[in-house]
Amino acid sequence: MTLRNIFLVARREFAQVVALKSFWLTLLLIPVALAIGPLLGDSLDDEEPTRVVVIDRAGGSAAAALAARFAFEQDRHALQALSRYVRRHKLERADPQAPWAKHDRWYTPADVMAFRAAGGLDAALARIERAKRADIPEFDRPAADYEIVAASGTLATAEGDALASQARRLVQASKEAPKAERADLVLLIGAGYPADPTVRVWAGDQPRASFVAGVQEVLTADLRHRMLVDSGLSPRQALAVQSAAPAIAVTTPPPGGGAREALLVRSIVPLALAYILMMGLMLSGSWMLQGAIEERSKKLLESVLACITPEELMYGKLLGALGIGLSMLTAWLGAAAVVAFATQGAIADVIRPALAPVTSPGAIVTLIYFFAMGYIAISIVFVAIGALADSMSEAQGYLMPVILAILLPVTFLIQAILAGNSGPLVQVLTWVPIWTPFTVLARLGTGISALEVIGAAVVLAAFVALEMILLARLFRQSLLAQGQKPGLKVLIERLRPVAN
Amino acid sequence: MPEPIPVPEMTKRCGGFQMSVLAVRGLTKRFGDVLAVDDLGFAVQPGEIFGFLGGNGAGKTTTLRMVLDIIRPTSGAIEVFGRAPDRRNTGAIGFLPEERGLYSNMSAIEVIAYFGQLKRMTAADARAHGMELLTRFDLAGRAKAKISELSKGMAQKVQLATALVNRPQLLILDEPFSGLDPVNQGLLEEEILRAARGGAAVVFSTHVMQHAERLCQRLLLLRKGRKRFEGTPDEARAQLPSTIDAMAPPAIAELDGVARATERRKLENGLSEWTLDLAPGVSAGDVLQRASARGLPLRRFEERRATLHDVFVHLVGPDALEGESRA
Repeated sequence: MTLRNIFLVARREFAQVVALKSFWLTLLLIPVALAIGPLLGDSLDDEEPTRVVVIDRAGGSAAAALAARFAFEQDRHALQALSRYVRRHKLERADPQAPWAKHDRWYTPADVMAFRAAGGLDAALARIERAKRADIPEFDRPAADYEIVAASGTLATAEGDALASQARRLVQASKEAPKAERADLVLLIGAGYPADPTVRVWAGDQPRASFVAGVQEVLTADLRHRMLVDSGLSPRQALAVQSAAPAIAVTTPPPGGGAREALLVRSIVPLALAYILMMGLMLSGSWMLQGAIEERSKKLLESVLACITPEELMYGKLLGALGIGLSMLTAWLGAAAVVAFATQGAIADVIRPALAPVTSPGAIVTLIYFFAMGYIAISIVFVAIGALADSMSEAQGYLMPVILAILLPVTFLIQAILAGNSGPLVQVLTWVPIWTPFTVLARLGTGISALEVIGAAVVLAAFVALEMILLARLFRQSLLAQGQKPGLKVLIERLRPVAN
Repeated sequence: MPEPIPVPEMTKRCGGFQMSVLAVRGLTKRFGDVLAVDDLGFAVQPGEIFGFLGGNGAGKTTTLRMVLDIIRPTSGAIEVFGRAPDRRNTGAIGFLPEERGLYSNMSAIEVIAYFGQLKRMTAADARAHGMELLTRFDLAGRAKAKISELSKGMAQKVQLATALVNRPQLLILDEPFSGLDPVNQGLLEEEILRAARGGAAVVFSTHVMQHAERLCQRLLLLRKGRKRFEGTPDEARAQLPSTIDAMAPPAIAELDGVARATERRKLENGLSEWTLDLAPGVSAGDVLQRASARGLPLRRFEERRATLHDVFVHLVGPDALEGESRA
């Protein structure tokens, strides 16, 4: 057996797969998804605030309270986003006393008032700009959630069915209609308010829960304020009662951190590796199978076997398949790394800690070993099937049970890891060689002892060696047995060590 | 039709004895209860074109596969270039299998170079000689075309080039003419003769006697795995006595050496048309001499020698020729 022949076969197998359009589609799928995902997300995000027409026929104070509430929420949202930005880029030195430099709290109205008093978002950004390095990206201003707009003349005065009809027309108008002729929500506070506290809402779609809750909270506060004043409290006292609220201190991990979040984030790459191994195997296995069947159906085997041994052919095919798998892995991980280090924001926040479990030398060795051995362990089954089947349809008959046997437990495994479960299923799968590579790779994020890794590696190596011996016999003895559908008895006979 | 070539001077000698390119002794192969090859022996010399004849299932392909080490014998010995067959011989062997095919998504030159490299050539040498062959086969312009884009005839030429790319010293062709169009049959005959002229031993199996008759210097007839004959085409034809077509009086049927006389038609003047089967060892000249000595008037006396086809049918049986008419 010569390495030269093995490499020649491997190179041809590799080149054959690389020439397939489906290979490039698969290879580019992940990087393209990574590239267009954020763009698609941005484009799908409805940047335009929800337009709310408020008709207040009870004097206007309720409408004013609602407008103030939405403005407050908008400022709190901006403050939270700014705080996260400052923390991510360590910009607290720009103004250590500013609320956005204090991350251990749920921002109260007082914080928001202080933020406003200091000049709001524009003033804060001006201060941050002075402390910011040139390579730190600009703050991405959060879009407003709601825009309160005044009712048009006819709508403001319409009554009964005419009002309902106009409101419906407004909320059902298409997005292309001029702004003045459309709204997402129309809210009517009747002239009988507060005696009749009914508030009517017309919506083109189901209104957001946060909107309904906000309206309810504001108007409840307004009603209670009026009741307190009516019962003898001064407006100031009533306001004080309404404003009484606990200050909630919140300690949060840095972006991408935190116990549960960290566990999930750390498991992303290991799980992705297990998934890539699974997908890569299925795809390259299918390509390899097509190649093997082409060799059989086009009567190529005899010509090839006159030049090289069946073992060289088999190992070459395995090496070619491994090359395909590693190429896909390299391309996908490379794309992820580029995204992690060339991008900023939430994606980088997730990908950087996600890559952490696979960056230590031990983890890299483990990753490469189990990926490669997993590829060989499963690919050899595909190679053997390729030697048995004369056509793709015949191959499917052998392939289906094999794929199900591999995929189903791996699907359960991924679910278990995502749920933070390392119970009996995960433990058992670690030691069953056909699933060992997937399980060990998937567990790299949640933690697996060195002893388990070494033990599983030894078991897997022994399994692959046994597979090589048995399936190489099957491969050798099935290659030229064309047109014969072997039964179980024949298959077992072919596993035995006999001269041709 | 190309001229048969004479057996060249043997160039390879070892210890004073001529060394065969291929030598087979007592070769036997069983597949379970089936005896595919039974105690077979033969040898092929450099520059020789050796025909391996037999019907379907005679054991030709099995024997060639054993020579190529694709399958191993149950017993017996094979020597290729003086040693047991293994892939170290690959670089000196060209092989064209009976069932042919090429990688459809590779170009003609790529597939030739690939097989050249599998036969231990460097990539550059394999490509260069591959291009030479394609040029010779009038396919240089399609060198970069994918196999799937070539016609069947073109693909057959490419397949032949894969067998010849390594300039083999032993060229093994399993039913090489099967499925070839007449143009490519002529091309293949030229290449077989060219290889032999270059000193290569050529072994080809066939059950089409015309090709064997035109090309082979020696041939071997197999039936159910056993050798029925080995020798030159003349020696093969001599296996069957000649027949004579004659226009003569009835007394010709009584001459010594005539084993059987069949009167085909009576003519005037007491003459008839006869077909005479001669006894073993008797030549047409002997019978003519005896007829002259008896003063028999002969209007026609024509010897008809046995063809390889006749010999094949005689030794192997008519069933073995199934498919010859198709070839």
